[in-house]
Amino acid sequence: MEFIVGDTNEAINAEIVHSLGKDSILIKINGKEHSIKLLKSARDEFEFILDNSFHHAKILRSTTAELVVLIDGQSLQVKRHSKLTEVLEKSLSLGKVAVSQNNLTSQIPGRVVSVVANIGTSVKKGDSVVILESMKMQLGVKAHKDGTIKEMKVQQGSTVARNDIIATIE
Amino acid sequence: MVKKINSILISNRGEIALRVIRACKEIGIKSIAVYSDEDVRSIHVKKADEAYHIGPAAASESYLAMDKIIDTANRVGAEAIHPGYGFLSENESFAEACEKKGIIFIGPNSEALEITGDKMKCKAVMKKAKVPSVPGSDGIIDDVEEAADVAHTIGYPVLLKSAFGGGGRGIRLANNEKELRKEFEMVSTESKAAFGKSALFIEKYLDRIRHIEFQLIRDSFGNTRHLFERECSIQRRHQKLIEMSPSPVVDQKTRNNVGEIAKRAADAVEYLNAGTAEFLRDHEGNFYFIEINSRLQVEHPVTELVTGVDLVKMQIAIAQDEEIPFKQDELKMHGCAIECRINAEDPFYEFSPSVGAVPDCSIPYGPGIRVDTYLYPGCTVSGYYDSLVAKLIAWGSDFEEARKRTRNGLYEFTIEGINTTIPLYKTIVDEENFIKGELSTDYIDRFNLMDKMHELTKKQASMKSSAAIAAILLQLEFAKTGGPSFQFHKAKPYSNWKRSQVNR
Amino acid sequence: MHEEKIKRLHRMKKMAELGGGEDKIEAQHSKGKLTARERIDLLLDEGSFLEIDKYVTHRSDDPHAEKYYGDGVITGFGTVNGRQVFLYVYDFTILGGSLGEMAGKKVVKLMDHAIKAGAPLIGIIDSGGARIQEGVLSLDGYGDIFYRNTLASGLVPQITAMIGPCAGGAVYSPAMTDFVIMVENVGQMFVTGPEVVKEVLSQEVSFEELGGAKAHATKSGVAHFVAKNEYECMDKIKKLLSFMPQNNTEEPPILDTIDEPNRIDANLVNILPENPYEQYDIRQILTSIVDNGDFLEVHELFAENILVGFARMGGRPIGVVANQPMYLAGALDINSSNKAARFIRFCDAYNIPVVTLVDTPGYLPGTDQEHNGIIRHGSKLLFAYCEATVPKITCIIGKAYGGAYIAMGSKNLRADFNYAWPTAEIAVLGPEAAITIIHRRTLKQSTDAVATKKKLAKEFRDKFANPYIAAEKGIIDAVIDPMETRPMIIRALEALANKVETRPWKKHGNINL
Repeated sequence: MEFIVGDTNEAINAEIVHSLGKDSILIKINGKEHSIKLLKSARDEFEFILDNSFHHAKILRSTTAELVVLIDGQSLQVKRHSKLTEVLEKSLSLGKVAVSQNNLTSQIPGRVVSVVANIGTSVKKGDSVVILESMKMQLGVKAHKDGTIKEMKVQQGSTVARNDIIATIE
Repeated sequence: MVKKINSILISNRGEIALRVIRACKEIGIKSIAVYSDEDVRSIHVKKADEAYHIGPAAASESYLAMDKIIDTANRVGAEAIHPGYGFLSENESFAEACEKKGIIFIGPNSEALEITGDKMKCKAVMKKAKVPSVPGSDGIIDDVEEAADVAHTIGYPVLLKSAFGGGGRGIRLANNEKELRKEFEMVSTESKAAFGKSALFIEKYLDRIRHIEFQLIRDSFGNTRHLFERECSIQRRHQKLIEMSPSPVVDQKTRNNVGEIAKRAADAVEYLNAGTAEFLRDHEGNFYFIEINSRLQVEHPVTELVTGVDLVKMQIAIAQDEEIPFKQDELKMHGCAIECRINAEDPFYEFSPSVGAVPDCSIPYGPGIRVDTYLYPGCTVSGYYDSLVAKLIAWGSDFEEARKRTRNGLYEFTIEGINTTIPLYKTIVDEENFIKGELSTDYIDRFNLMDKMHELTKKQASMKSSAAIAAILLQLEFAKTGGPSFQFHKAKPYSNWKRSQVNR
Repeated sequence: MHEEKIKRLHRMKKMAELGGGEDKIEAQHSKGKLTARERIDLLLDEGSFLEIDKYVTHRSDDPHAEKYYGDGVITGFGTVNGRQVFLYVYDFTILGGSLGEMAGKKVVKLMDHAIKAGAPLIGIIDSGGARIQEGVLSLDGYGDIFYRNTLASGLVPQITAMIGPCAGGAVYSPAMTDFVIMVENVGQMFVTGPEVVKEVLSQEVSFEELGGAKAHATKSGVAHFVAKNEYECMDKIKKLLSFMPQNNTEEPPILDTIDEPNRIDANLVNILPENPYEQYDIRQILTSIVDNGDFLEVHELFAENILVGFARMGGRPIGVVANQPMYLAGALDINSSNKAARFIRFCDAYNIPVVTLVDTPGYLPGTDQEHNGIIRHGSKLLFAYCEATVPKITCIIGKAYGGAYIAMGSKNLRADFNYAWPTAEIAVLGPEAAITIIHRRTLKQSTDAVATKKKLAKEFRDKFANPYIAAEKGIIDAVIDPMETRPMIIRALEALANKVETRPWKKHGNINL
């Protein structure tokens, strides 16, 4: 199996060689063998010894192509199937990108305090489109490109989550 | 005549509520907490002697609802109210309402609050008392045209500030007239939202400044003391990130001089109880008074650790009309303390707020480590209130020891479920300019801390990548073989009750 | 000693796994699509896949017809997050994934296994349709598949993912399965393709417009889910499975969600707007009461005036049906009746309790609805509720007028517990409509009809539009404080965990299709 950890671009090859009993397994990472002794496991949480080093890990999120692991207190994003992602991106570039390029998404979760630009308003990159409030801070969601607001997906009082689409700009 | 307080209602939440509760427990005073719907499982509710529900999540209907709070205080027989910081702590109407209802407000009286709360009035008073201030507009700016005029006179860049601001809110920078006009609107709105009122004034923006403040206490007998300085220069968007005492650039002579000026400021407004005089120090070493923060501040632990004075207990003592038990020259500074404000924000994603459940957390401890927090495994961080979740304060016999202990504390601090600014602090604590004491309010940008943070994280990620992959492989292996503790999605067959009656 | 034979096996295996060959795999990739084997790797737990019928080829005598191992479809079984599933995945690299006689036999064999084993059936479609060369034998294959879909329906959950074309009669197989997921810009379904449409009707329409994911998710309701890409498709399948049991003799799996069952939410008290005619999003209430706000919406883009989907409460999977006041004021109509009825029947088949939230002003009026059969389609919803023997819990949040009140899980349809919020309005008609009928004479004689109407409407509302009249009659079991909605429903679910209702035997009812 191949993984890409964090922001690095190097693929790491890893696999399970074999199980050594009910709480030990032998794995290979980039050709080098390591033994893991499992000390404790719950549904998504493990305490184990990897080559004499003690670790505590929690799998926070697990989707087909991406996992988020909290390893010894540090959160790491690990991607899988990068070769397949390359393939899929070919179709994503066939018309999908055009759609997503128009989407203005929110970088933060929050409540919409005011809608600054309405449908039909022309905006320049960097102009505030809506103002969000969260944790007593007010932040503007800024247009990511020049254009006209085609759709407004939220209204005053709406709650948005991170990566929600606020509006489309064409 | 000392009036003994037997019960205190804390009109606040989070870590500061817990701090006051702890002080109450030490003295033997009944602690009464109030909570909104969001905070029903908060630690301050659990630790207080009594706790009362005061409203739904929105602050305006709970922690800012003066009448509800005072009604509750009267109803349950609270003799005093400690407002903490933020919320109603600097609201003179609230202090007045408490006074009227016979409740002791642990803080300044409403008159002092009125002056210190109004930056313009305060400046006028300070001018008379010969306390040097930052050049700026003489009073409130009524409209954007006047703002442009003043700004033009004192010279850009300027800061647009809300007269009722505090805690870094309601401040915006304008480099030229175009920006001034744009920001004028936004600051006005933000100020109304946070404090209910808007009134703006302008100050000259000084370059490469250090933010140095002096802790003050003043009792009802007019005794004023300063408890030395705190350097709070490392900031982001005018919010303090790290505070420390002593400041690397303040020697004993400066300390004495500016300390006296700070005391003069407190006397000028006839201040009562604990407060802070904030100064800006330019790179030539000149100190300019900005404002008095008329409340106990977030960073008070820093002063507590280097002076040995418990400021919350001192607040309660002063509120009981006790005299401050030490003279100025009896106060000594001992060692160095550094505080990191840990916020629930993602430093890798424009510091966007991070809310939600905290399934697990591990709070550091050990020699010289103090953590003031409301976190505990299983708690929740709410999006209705500000993002400060914990303060990590380390004390050492000198700056180096304090810095190393801060470092250890940061690396031992793990919080699951939300993103925090800990990675930024991990970067700062080992950064060469921080170690040299080369600080200014633009420290973060000046020394490219964000880039350094990304590099450090990348380096740490690669050290952990094998372990992370090992964990993933473990999960896959055990999911396959369905190990005993691996109950992913175990389905159950019919109960016997059902089985006996359903025809197949 | 037998090394040669083992070597031959490995060679055969390698050849079979190349499907239609390297160049066909390249072609598939260049279109931005993954191969069948790659898709299996993404869906199933690592190393859990066991393939059967790997070396099956077609039986044509034609020497020019090349034989491929697998014959265009990969069948087998494996685990998804530890749960046994049976899979059939069409392989586009072999003869365009078309179904011939032997491929058909493979799928049918696999489906029979799933039924016997009592495990979910998952299909991934990426197929050009019937193999023309094999003539009627291809159709024979499809026929048998349809038969098995029907047999399996109600025995084991069936989920189909459309990650490629599916045309002609072949579309009926996914249509009969429980859930269809289409991948945007990749999945396509139509009975008659654009070329024939152009020829016969001179109508120009693109593949995507005619039968793409968007069209089927919003207009026809054939697609229950739209996935942005193949990864999301797999995630959706896994998420869906987590709410269902393996087969109809099992209870759906209970997960230990960290969310406190007794959590109350005071924000619900004032969540309804003051003005009863103002729109609001029922999702806000829904996400507050379910575990961790986690709601998997089904048919999100179809018949948006009603919401259906899966969630957990107290760790137990539930099916949610809720009117959505944001669209058409939450009125019921043809599409929403169909959507909800099918969903309820699925939940009933698989022992998933149904929780209903009600705020509807009635049925949508108009010739469009009447002539298209709202009478027929509306009756399906009533039928589905009555027929269901799973625990049914209803909570009336706002308006519940007339027939729509009855249709949305009312007591008479044998819901087990019927709760109402203090803001509930249970009446035959809305106040305005009611008084125009009752007080017709008064209004006619009145000097200021508008003001009188307003006054009478308010009186009507105050007197009748509240839940207490129904509560007095026992038609509502409890009027509850909105804050407590979540604990009240969870406690009801726990009490009904072993609910059994038996009915006299019949072959099946005659639901008004």
